[in-house]
Amino acid sequence: MTISVDIQTVRRPMDRRTRARQAHIWLALLLAAVSVISLATGPTGTSLWVAMVKIIDGEPLTAMERVVIWDIRMPRLILGIAVGAALAVSGAVMQGLFRNPLADPGLVGVGAGAGLGAILAIVLGALLPLWIAELVGNALVPVAAFMGGWLSTIILYRVSTRRGRTSVATMLLAGIALGALAGAVSGILVYVADDRQLRDLTFWGLGSLAGATWSKVLIAGPLIGVAVLASLFLGRGLNALALGEATASHLGFSVQRLKSAAIVTVAAATGAAVAVSGGIGFIGIVVPHLLRLATGPDHETLLLNAALLGATLLLAADIISRQIIAPAELPIGIVTAVLGAPVFLWILLRRRGLVEM
Amino acid sequence: MITARDIQVRIGKKPILHGVDFVAKPGEVTAIVGPNGSGKTTLLRALTDEIVWTGQVQINGRDIGAYKTWDLAAVRAVLPQAATLAFPFTVIEVVRMGLRSGIHGDRDIVAQRALAMVGLGGYEQRFFQELSGGEQQRAHLARVLCQVWDPVVDGVPRWMLLDEPVASLDIGHQLLIMRCLEDFAKRGGGVIAVMHDLNLTAMVADMVTIISDGRVIASGPVKEVFTDASLSAAYHCQLRANTIPDDHAAFILPQVAQSVVSLRGEAITVAG
Repeated sequence: MTISVDIQTVRRPMDRRTRARQAHIWLALLLAAVSVISLATGPTGTSLWVAMVKIIDGEPLTAMERVVIWDIRMPRLILGIAVGAALAVSGAVMQGLFRNPLADPGLVGVGAGAGLGAILAIVLGALLPLWIAELVGNALVPVAAFMGGWLSTIILYRVSTRRGRTSVATMLLAGIALGALAGAVSGILVYVADDRQLRDLTFWGLGSLAGATWSKVLIAGPLIGVAVLASLFLGRGLNALALGEATASHLGFSVQRLKSAAIVTVAAATGAAVAVSGGIGFIGIVVPHLLRLATGPDHETLLLNAALLGATLLLAADIISRQIIAPAELPIGIVTAVLGAPVFLWILLRRRGLVEM
Repeated sequence: MITARDIQVRIGKKPILHGVDFVAKPGEVTAIVGPNGSGKTTLLRALTDEIVWTGQVQINGRDIGAYKTWDLAAVRAVLPQAATLAFPFTVIEVVRMGLRSGIHGDRDIVAQRALAMVGLGGYEQRFFQELSGGEQQRAHLARVLCQVWDPVVDGVPRWMLLDEPVASLDIGHQLLIMRCLEDFAKRGGGVIAVMHDLNLTAMVADMVTIISDGRVIASGPVKEVFTDASLSAAYHCQLRANTIPDDHAAFILPQVAQSVVSLRGEAITVAG
């Protein structure tokens, strides 16, 4: 008599790739559900359901319903999805590029540069010639943040590229120096700022989707959309890069082009996201890490899942920030930090001794 | 055919290779041997275009610089001496990284068969980083096998360039892997392997190039090249190439009875 034990099923759990592909569908459904909740939530008591029934019945909406749902909640929803997806995908791309699970988009200098740009605009914006002020209108802070982010990325890229090769290690170190410099200049501006400006730049630093308008959606949306879509194609290259630059090149990937593409998409996506929403932390680190735990580090599925989960979590954080002290609003950066920091510490504790550059 | 002419490499000001010529033919296992620091790995890195070198390297009759990275990867796969891995990938995920579009047959089955060929069947869902050093090396070799799965495509041979493919393997797996390489060559592909073990080289390699101090000492069929003189000159110690009577394979033994130079530079004699 032989006892047959099915070792195969014991030793081989379902291939993570299958689970990761199924997660595309589940996360998309989750995002859709949270999107509906986001549209239905707000301090005015305007009901999405009532409005939906009216639309289906062909009845006209009240002006209040139109403004609240279409002009306030809808752009906020779209911006939330775009910013969440941008931050999470950029985080995953940076971690792949730096081959380190704790890397974040800040490493390409976007954060520091964007912060400095925003502070410059808030504190010194009044000194600009009138025609520039009229041209950019109240988009001055986002435009300055975006330009600051790009400028610092370009400087960092130049510093860390020699003879057509970019050293990510140099980039990391130069980023620390550039960040300190930007911090010092910001410090000078904070020192000369008046009380109103101080309040403005503090709130900018905490991040918020409260200022979402259709014009912001139309400016930042396409840029983020293109950058996020483009970065979804970096998956195979980032997988190969996990084996080291030389092996990635033996596998047929042009490593320098891969790096440039990663840096450009991250700078565009994060730059635009930070410009319209301020400093929102932790999404870029926590989302990819949770996904890696659940479905593995394969970037071919990770990047799309990160976009979906990042958008979902940011919308959820936005709903919390709107509801918790309604009718006032908590800056969303506080919510993501309160939720994200413990997760981040948990990651560090789990990986204790393994976090090496 | 892979041909290299007058390969010169400097690292800093120190010349590592002084004009090396090298030829490898498809259908053969070509070994590169030599003492530590002789320039074996450097030659392989020049052949894979990983370092700055001067001279000429052609793969299948075409200058290596004329290939695009993606096209080059279609004709040759490379196994480095030590490959790192970031992130907790499973073994099958690492092997799949070698898969390219345009492989004949089911891609997943190719990856699994490659694992089975290196003796890692059933290891698919294990975490790569939890494997032993030798197992990791074999998993990387499976990835390399996947990349050039069909040894000949449209009449064009494909190549494996391997830096010490069996260095950290036990004797059974050394033989398994060498048989794998032999089989790849028999089916029309080309194999270039930097080797450490002279006996294993004598058993499996068709052609061998001995490098010492950045120069080619000898090059040709194993039986012609593995002589007492060339080996002793290359390794700076007395070696004798013997032949196993049954199959005429060479085996090399160090000659302990000869006087050897102690670390302090004085001649000492070991009784033998």
